[in-house]
Amino acid sequence: MSQLISRSDLTAWINALLAEYTVIAPTKVDSLALYQPVKRADDIFMDFGITALSPKEWLFPPTETLFTITTQDGTMKLEAPPLDGKNLIFAIRPCDARGFRLLDKVFLAPPADTHYAQRRQNTTLIGLACSKALPQCFCTSVGGAPNDASDVDVLLTEVEEGYLVNIVTEKGQAAVAQAKLIEKDVTPPSPPNLKPVSTEGIVEATLRAYNDDYWERLADRCTHCNVCAFVCPACYCFDVRDHINQGKTERLRCWDSCQAPGFTRVAGGYTPRPTKGARLRQRFGHKLLYYPQQYGDLLCVGCGRCIASCPVNIDIREVMEDLQKLGVKSVSARA
Amino acid sequence: MNQAIRDKAKELLASGAVSCVIGYDVGSDGINARPFFAYTEEEADGLAFDQTCTHNLVKYLIDRAGKATAIVVKPCDARALTVLINEKQVKREEVFIIGAVCHGIIESTWGQKGSDLQGRCQTCTQHTPLVYDLLVGEPMAEPTPKAPLDHRAATLANMSVAERAAFWAEQFQRCLRCNACRQVCPGCYCAECFVDQLDPEWVGIRIDLPEKWLWNTIRAFHLAGRCVGCDECQRVCPVNIPLGLLNHKLEEEVATLFDFRPGVKADVPAPLETFKKDEKLGIGE
Ligand code: SF4
Ligand code: SF4
Ligand code: SF4
Ligand code: SF4
Ligand code: SF4
Repeated sequence: MSQLISRSDLTAWINALLAEYTVIAPTKVDSLALYQPVKRADDIFMDFGITALSPKEWLFPPTETLFTITTQDGTMKLEAPPLDGKNLIFAIRPCDARGFRLLDKVFLAPPADTHYAQRRQNTTLIGLACSKALPQCFCTSVGGAPNDASDVDVLLTEVEEGYLVNIVTEKGQAAVAQAKLIEKDVTPPSPPNLKPVSTEGIVEATLRAYNDDYWERLADRCTHCNVCAFVCPACYCFDVRDHINQGKTERLRCWDSCQAPGFTRVAGGYTPRPTKGARLRQRFGHKLLYYPQQYGDLLCVGCGRCIASCPVNIDIREVMEDLQKLGVKSVSARA
Repeated sequence: MNQAIRDKAKELLASGAVSCVIGYDVGSDGINARPFFAYTEEEADGLAFDQTCTHNLVKYLIDRAGKATAIVVKPCDARALTVLINEKQVKREEVFIIGAVCHGIIESTWGQKGSDLQGRCQTCTQHTPLVYDLLVGEPMAEPTPKAPLDHRAATLANMSVAERAAFWAEQFQRCLRCNACRQVCPGCYCAECFVDQLDPEWVGIRIDLPEKWLWNTIRAFHLAGRCVGCDECQRVCPVNIPLGLLNHKLEEEVATLFDFRPGVKADVPAPLETFKKDEKLGIGE
């Protein structure tokens, strides 16, 4: 027996959730699908395929104040920003939820990042299994699946009668408290088939290619536009700077990208990654070599966003294939 | 057309006239083109040109200063190249221009075959590049100019200032400050862009509306009279901000005030790079 919610009860449930949580869900903004806070169930756009941006901004916002310093009557006051309330991300894709698992390893490793940890604690993830795969999707090759429930609190799967509701965690249990679930014998649909990509020996292959011309050739066409990092659910580069305004100092953390020419520039103007190739190598080095060496998994969930959004078609699947070949015999890069 | 490009590329590489040919090949989806750098005769066999060749490649020439390079250009790209030559970023004698007769570029997304022409191509007035060393493709009669297709242009023109500001606030709100628009723009080659400058810090680090607004409006002004309307900025914007609307408006303003279109004539500097005593200022006139 499975738990099921009808379409109309789903709407009622979402409206009930809105009283308790800030509900962040896919919405249609012009021609784009984006995760935004919604005011009513009707604002949600369920037929979204994949959103233009990952929902990572709701745990790791583009701009956040780490602390503020104010001086009054000769005394300095250091304050932490107020805590966010309870958030619920509705209809998160399994790959994007897996992205949070990868970010957790970085931000929650002791000493944990307070802000990320607080948000993570206060956020419930209601997953939506994918009924279709896009040509750029390859989650199954990097540890995920279109119906993977491991990184969500509840997983919804669309069926003819409504949605199957798979409650995974206690947080999920709390979230469905107000949902009208019915027991029914429904066979879940089989997940879409994805074209496999080989990741065999990729860590070693990336290390072997460290000094190869490959990177400069590949980077010939890279525009260092940062789009790949900004759309990626697993990228977490940031910059920290102080903002001083009328006696108040704010320490800010904002998104950044290893592809930006100034990213590694230090005082005096020196840049340890001066060339286009060195910067592009960092992108793939981080995803396929450094992060896996430190944390085990590849720093990629196969969402395909970078593939579809890169203006010059630098395709991580093709890069992996090239790197695997490079170790065997020297191939000229498909630059 | 492909054969003509490949033959010329091979000839130039074999003779050592150039060390690289920048053109297009087929991308990883097997459908849409992507930029391609051919350094050998063998690699030149991968060069191709079709109606998916949307990228404006001329910015790559800046990085290749001092090295003779051949490049495939469409008419809009050729205008951008003329801007770069006029602004002394590219030396004409270092470039062999393979001009492609362009039937318009198809609106497409990765992994999908598109069918409609891009908006900028529907209103374009050139099929043949204004400058080239070799022309590939069959020359044809130039199309007649058409009004901008994006209905938002007309709607915006009829709005009050406050309504227009509200429209742009809504659009800019989505901006991620990724700078992709700048990275691909042929006119944005400054060694240190104003937005990256720390002292003075013109724009703070925040990714919030005031900074997004400042970024997009100042960049648009820096391109006034220099933007060739290639729409690369708009194409790469990951959140679909209609930057073309802004650029096109400024292009028309410059055309009205100064009777100038960027990239049309060699050796004619952009109006905002020069000062003439008798020139209209557009202020209080
Ligand atoms: S999206 Fe593509 S062009 Fe832009 S920085 Fe990433 S790899 Fe380079
Ligand atoms: S690297 Fe690309 S495919 Fe992998 S998670 Fe990031 S955006 Fe998705
Ligand atoms: S501003 Fe945009 S349309 Fe204008 S030249 Fe730059 S990239 Fe092309
Ligand atoms: S926005 Fe202005 S300062 Fe920045 S690169 Fe473009 S032209 Fe230069
Ligand atoms: S490309 Fe779009 S999102 Fe990125 S900085 Fe430019 S306008 Fe903003």
